[in-house]
Amino acid sequence: MPGADPGPVRARAVAVTGLGAVSPLGWGLGSLWDGLRSGRTAIGRFDRFDHSGHRTHIAAQVDLAAEPARLRGKPLRLSLADRFAVAAAREAVAQATIDVDRCRERTGVYFGTSTGGMLETEAYLEALFTAMSGRGRPPAASLLASQQNNGPGDAVARDLGIGGPVQTVSAACASGAMAIGDAVRAVRRGEVDVAIAGGSDSLCRLTYAGFNALRAVDERPCRPFRGNRAGLSLGEGAGALILEPLGRVLARGARPLALATGEAASCDAHHMTSPHPEGFGAAEAIRGALADARLDPSEIDFVNAHGTGTPLNDAAECMALVTVFGDRAPDLPVTSTKALVGHLLGSAGALEAVATILCLLNREVHPMPDDGASDPGIRLRLVLGRPLRLARARHALSTSLAFGGANAALVFTRHGDRNPGR
Amino acid sequence: MTETPAIRSRIKHLLVDALHLEGLAPSAIADDAPLFGEGLGLDSVDALELVVALEKEFAIRIQSHEVGKEAFVSVSALAAFIEGRLATAGNARAGS
Amino acid sequence: MEIGTLDAETVITGLGTIGPCGHGREPLAAALVAGKAVVAEVNRGAGLHREGGARLAALVGERDVSRWVAPADARRMSFPSKLAVAAARMALAEAGIDVTEAGGPRTGVYLSTTFGTSLFTERLLRQILLEGAEAAQPFYFSECVANAPAAQLAIAIGARGPNVTLTQRESGPLLAVARGAQAVREGCVDRAFAGTVEELTPLLHALLDRFGALARADGALAEMPRPFDRRRDGFLAGEGATLLVLEREDAARARGARVLARVGWSGAAFDATASVSDWGDGQAPLAAALRAGLDLVPDGAAGVAAIVSGASGTRRGDRLEARVLRAAWGEIPLPPVLVPKAVVGEYGGGILTSGLLALEGAPFGPTPGFAEPDPEVGVAPHAGGALQIPSRVLLTGLASGGAAGWLVLERVS
Repeated sequence: MPGADPGPVRARAVAVTGLGAVSPLGWGLGSLWDGLRSGRTAIGRFDRFDHSGHRTHIAAQVDLAAEPARLRGKPLRLSLADRFAVAAAREAVAQATIDVDRCRERTGVYFGTSTGGMLETEAYLEALFTAMSGRGRPPAASLLASQQNNGPGDAVARDLGIGGPVQTVSAACASGAMAIGDAVRAVRRGEVDVAIAGGSDSLCRLTYAGFNALRAVDERPCRPFRGNRAGLSLGEGAGALILEPLGRVLARGARPLALATGEAASCDAHHMTSPHPEGFGAAEAIRGALADARLDPSEIDFVNAHGTGTPLNDAAECMALVTVFGDRAPDLPVTSTKALVGHLLGSAGALEAVATILCLLNREVHPMPDDGASDPGIRLRLVLGRPLRLARARHALSTSLAFGGANAALVFTRHGDRNPGR
Repeated sequence: MTETPAIRSRIKHLLVDALHLEGLAPSAIADDAPLFGEGLGLDSVDALELVVALEKEFAIRIQSHEVGKEAFVSVSALAAFIEGRLATAGNARAGS
Repeated sequence: MEIGTLDAETVITGLGTIGPCGHGREPLAAALVAGKAVVAEVNRGAGLHREGGARLAALVGERDVSRWVAPADARRMSFPSKLAVAAARMALAEAGIDVTEAGGPRTGVYLSTTFGTSLFTERLLRQILLEGAEAAQPFYFSECVANAPAAQLAIAIGARGPNVTLTQRESGPLLAVARGAQAVREGCVDRAFAGTVEELTPLLHALLDRFGALARADGALAEMPRPFDRRRDGFLAGEGATLLVLEREDAARARGARVLARVGWSGAAFDATASVSDWGDGQAPLAAALRAGLDLVPDGAAGVAAIVSGASGTRRGDRLEARVLRAAWGEIPLPPVLVPKAVVGEYGGGILTSGLLALEGAPFGPTPGFAEPDPEVGVAPHAGGALQIPSRVLLTGLASGGAAGWLVLERVS
C-alpha cells in the first residue's frame, strides 16, 4: 500500500522539513526571527480598518506594502487571511524542497483560522447595509467569495494543486495548534506523505470590537505574565509547517529541521470566555503532549506559552505549568511570542510553533520586552529583554488555550545536533 | 438630583432584559441582594453585558477597572454609582 | 485513506437530530418517504433579498428545545449552541448513556459548521458597523466563534477530551464523523460526539441567493432544488443539527448498547480545479481517491448497495458528483442514489440521518425535483420504490471550494 510503513502507527516519527511565516514582523522567516530576537514589539499603530470608535487603538499588523510578488494566474478573490496563508505555505514548501507535482494525492492541508475572510465580509456588509438604506449600490456578490473559514486552507491547497485531504479547524485561539496536531496524526497514520499545516487570520472589526467588549484588550502592548498586565493585543498573520514521515525525509536526502514529537488537545468544559482558574484543561493538554512525545516534564528545555497578557489567562496557564513541571517551573524558561506580534487568534498556534522551532534551531529562546513590574504570583523564568542562550536545546513545548476552553499543546524536538542555520 | 428609586427600577428591568433572565420579575430582585457569585449568580460576562447596557441606558461611561467591583455588588450599589456618574456629568455640563 | 485495520472498530450508538422536519429521525423519515421538499418562506422583511431571487428555505420550525436545554442554562446560548446541546442529549438518551457518565477527559467533540453562529454574528456586526464598536455586546461575541456550539456542548456534557470544529462546508459533516471515528479507533477518546450544526438567517439566505447559489423560480419553473436534473439551478438552504454518539464496538457491546451502524472507510481529497466557491472539473483524481477507498471495502464498489449522495441541485456540484460516482463505479452499474438534500436542503446533517435510515431499510420515496435527466450528468436519483436493505452505504460530500469527503456506514447484525 502506498505510503504504508511497517510497525505501529504511533512509532512513526514525524519530521518538520519546512517553515513559513507572515507576521507583523515581516514576510518570511528571516524577518520573523530577526524581530523575535530583538525583543521589540510590533504592536502599535495600525490602519487595517478605522478604529476611531473602538476602545483601544493599537494592534500588530502585517505590512502589506512588503508583500512579495502577487499570486500568479487569474484573480482568485482571496481574502487577506488567504493571502497570508498562501505566502506562508509557499515559503514552507520551498524550504522543504517538496516537489508537489510528484506527490499531489499524498499531500494534505491542515489549516486553522478563527475568522477567515471576515474583514472582507465586514466591508461587503457595510456596503450592503448602506445600499439598503438608499445610499449607494449593492456591492458585487463576487466579493463574498472567500468569506468562510475554509478560505485559507482551501487557498493553500488550490495554489499548490493539492489532491489529498484538506481540512480547516476553527477553534478560536487553538485552531493553528490543533491543525498541526491533526497533521501530525495524519502523517503518523500514513494518510498522507506530506502535510502542510498551519493557520492564518487577519485583523478584523469583529474580533477587535468583540475582545474590547469583553474588556480584554490592553490599551498598551500586552505584557504576558507581568504584574501590570491588562489584557491582550491583537495581531494578524500566518504560520505554516511541512510535516513528513522522518523515514521518507531521510530517504529523499532532505534535512529535517525538527521533529514534531508530541501533540494533544483537551477542553476545559468550564466557561465560554474564562479559562479554568487552575488551568486543569491546559495541564491535561500539556501532559498529554508530553506523554505522546514519551518525554518526562524534566526534559523540556523551554516553553512558548499561550501567554496572552490577560490577568486570567496568564494566571491559569502559570498554574497549569506549575502543576505539570512542579519544582522545575521556576527554572523553566518561558516566553510568549504574543508580546511581540500580538495574539494571532486562529494562526497563533501555528506562528508560535514556527517561532518555537526557530528557537530550537538557534538554541536560544526569544525574549519578551522587559518593561513593567513582575508578578510575584507568576514564578516562572520569563525570558525578558535579550534572547536566552540555551545550554541544552532538545525539546520545547508550545501551548494554545482557546476561547471556549479548547486547549492544544505541541512538543517539538531538535533533530540531530547540527544547526542548519536559516 | 434624580430620584434613586426610579434608577433602581430601571436597573432591575435592565438586568432582566439585557441578561435574558427570563421568568424573573424585575420587582422580585431585592435592592441589596448580591448580584454576582451568589444571589442572582451572575458571572464576568454578565457583568460586561450589563456594562454595555448601562452605558447605553444612562449615557455614561464605565471604566474597565470599575467593572465588577464594589459598585456592582447590588442594585443599590449600582444605583448609587450611576447617580454619582450622572451628577458628575451634570456638573460638568453646568460648568462649561 | 484508512490503514488502521488493527485498530478498534467504531460504532454509532445514538443519533440526535433537529431539523426542518422536526425533532428526531421519524419526521425526517416520513418526509423522505413522502418525497417532498420541506420548505418555508424566508422572512424577506429586512429588504436584503434581491428581486426575483430565492424565497424558500428548509427551516427548523419547532425551535423550542427546552425539553433538552433548560432555559436558565440556555439564556446566553445562540440557537446553534442550543441545537448542538439538544441533539447531543437526544443522542445520549438513545445510546442509553447516563448524562452524568457521558463526560470526562475521554469524551471528545467533533463538530462541523459552515457559517457558525450566524444570527449572533450578524447582530454583532450590525452593532459594530451601524452603531459603533462600543455597542458590541459581550453576549454575542462570546458566541461568535465557530467552535461555540462545540464548546457549549462540552460544558453541558462535561466533555473534556479534544474539542474540534471543522469548517469545510458541504463535506464538513462527513469529515467530522470520520475524525471522531478515527479518534475512537486510535484510542484517543473512548467516546465521541460527532456531527454538524448550522443556522440559516434571512441575511445569510439573501447572501447565498445574491451569490447565485440557491434554486429560484424561473418563469414556469417553480423554485425547488432539482438534483441531477437538466434544469437544476441551485440548492435549497437548510439548517439544523445532527449529532452521533460514537464509541468502540467492543465497549458498546459490553454495555449492551444497541448499535445503529459501524463506521467504515472514510476518505478525503481535494479538487484544485475548483474556484473559491464553486465545484471544479477534477473528477478524475476525486474518482481515483474514491475508487481506492472502495477497493478497501469488502466486495469493493459492488458491496455498496446504496449511495446517500450529497448532491443538492447545483449545476457544477451535481455534475461533478455524478462524474465522480460513475468513474469510481466504472463498469459496474451504480446502486440506487438517494438524495436527501432534495427534501431537507443543504446543511444540518440530514445526510447523516438518512444514511442511518437507509441502513435500517427505511423506505425512500421519489426524489423531488428530478424529472428530466441531464445527459451531461448521466445519473438518475432514486425514483421511489422498494430498496434492498443494504449492508453498506456510501455517504458523499463534495464541498464548494474543492474539498471532498466520503464515509461508509455498515450494517451490524
